[in-house]
This record gives sequence, C-alpha cells and structure tokens, in this order.
Amino acid sequence: MAVRREIDVEATPEEVFEALATEEGRERWLSEPEREIHVEVLDAPHQLVWWWAGAEQPATRVEFLIVAGTAADEPTRVVVIESAPSFPLAMLAASFERVYA
Amino acid sequence: MREPSARRAGGDPVGPVFAALADPTRRLMVEQLLLEETTSVPALSAVLPITRQAVAKHLAALDHAGLIERAPTRGREVRYRLRDGALEPASQWLTRAETAWGRRLARLKDAVEGRDVVEGGRAAESGQPR
Repeated sequence: MAVRREIDVEATPEEVFEALATEEGRERWLSEPEREIHVEVLDAPHQLVWWWAGAEQPATRVEFLIVAGTAADEPTRVVVIESAPSFPLAMLAASFERVYA
Repeated sequence: MREPSARRAGGDPVGPVFAALADPTRRLMVEQLLLEETTSVPALSAVLPITRQAVAKHLAALDHAGLIERAPTRGREVRYRLRDGALEPASQWLTRAETAWGRRLARLKDAVEGRDVVEGGRAAESGQPR
C-alpha cells in the first residue's frame, strides 16, 4: 500500500537533491517538524529514502527518485513514494535504537 | 473471534491494517473477499498455492487487524467476510497522503526554482503534481 506522486522541476538533479537531503534545504518547503526523519538511503543525486516517524501517526517510508531530463533543457522529474510499514513497528524502533544509540 | 487489535489499541487504527496488508497473500485474500463477499478456508485453499493451515494463519492475521469477521452461515462451514468499514482507515490514509504530497511537491518546486514558497505551493495551482 503506497502513494506515488511526481512533479517536474526546472533545476538540476543536484539542486533538487540538496533541497530534499539537507535540513537547510528541507526548511524551505517542508514544515512538519513534529515528524522525525531517519535516512535509510542517501544516493546523491538520484535516490533518497527516509523513514518518517511521528507521535500521532504510523511510521512510513518515503522514497524520492530524482530523474534527470534526457536533454539539457528538460526539467528534472521528482518522484515520491510513501508507503506504510511492511514489518512491525517494534522491529523498526529496535533497528533505530541500534543505529542511533 | 477476538476483538481486533486496532480497536483494543484505541489509538492508531492504520498500523495493524497496513501490517496485515503488507503480505501479498493476505492482499489476495482481501481482493477475493471484495469479489466474493464471503470466503472460507477450503475456498481459499483451492485458489491459493498454500496449505489450509497457512490459509487459516493468514485469516487469523486479518482477523487480528480487524479486517474480517465470521459471516453468519446455515451450514457447518465457517465463512468469513470483510468487516464493515474495515478498509476505511487505510483508504483515508492513502487519500490524505496523496493530497499532502501534492502540496509538498508544489512547495518543493517553488523553493528549488527560487520562487517564494506559499502554503500549498504556487505550482499546485497549475495542477502540476501528478
């Protein structure tokens, strides 16, 4: 079970990736400080995956795919897929504990 | 039938539903229920390449998540059906998530392209997020 949205952005994949992967970049467009971001995959400038955990909401996995236009003047496509957990949340919490302890 | 874990927990009703639906076999079972309205262990064993014991285990997981319940039957065969509104929390979550990403992507586009970021994003007005 997942949702998928995409948008074309007039910028380079590197510029888009910076806006997604850094705190300074996210502050410009993402205003949900109550949800903690735990990065799972950081593959600049093509792919970023984070887990999103909030007190009031179930943790979800958010994957961004950044696809460069085929020609120089073509926009960069950003695809986002948010999916619900495919394994128990307790296991997720335990894995974060190991990584971030 | 136990009381569904989603209801016992009293809080997040979406987590157990998604956890149950994360399994492809259980998704097939739910699809079967959407088509047939009711089903049983023998009926599912006939269409799925798994044992009756495995079918019963998956049905128990769907029951635990509050997705199915026993259907009233005249015969001896135990049949199951989807609970009323069982898929509602999952469907609401999907709708909310889709709308929210439409807004966020529009804001991302504004930010990266150097425009002032407004609530909802200017790009949203042109219907750009897909």
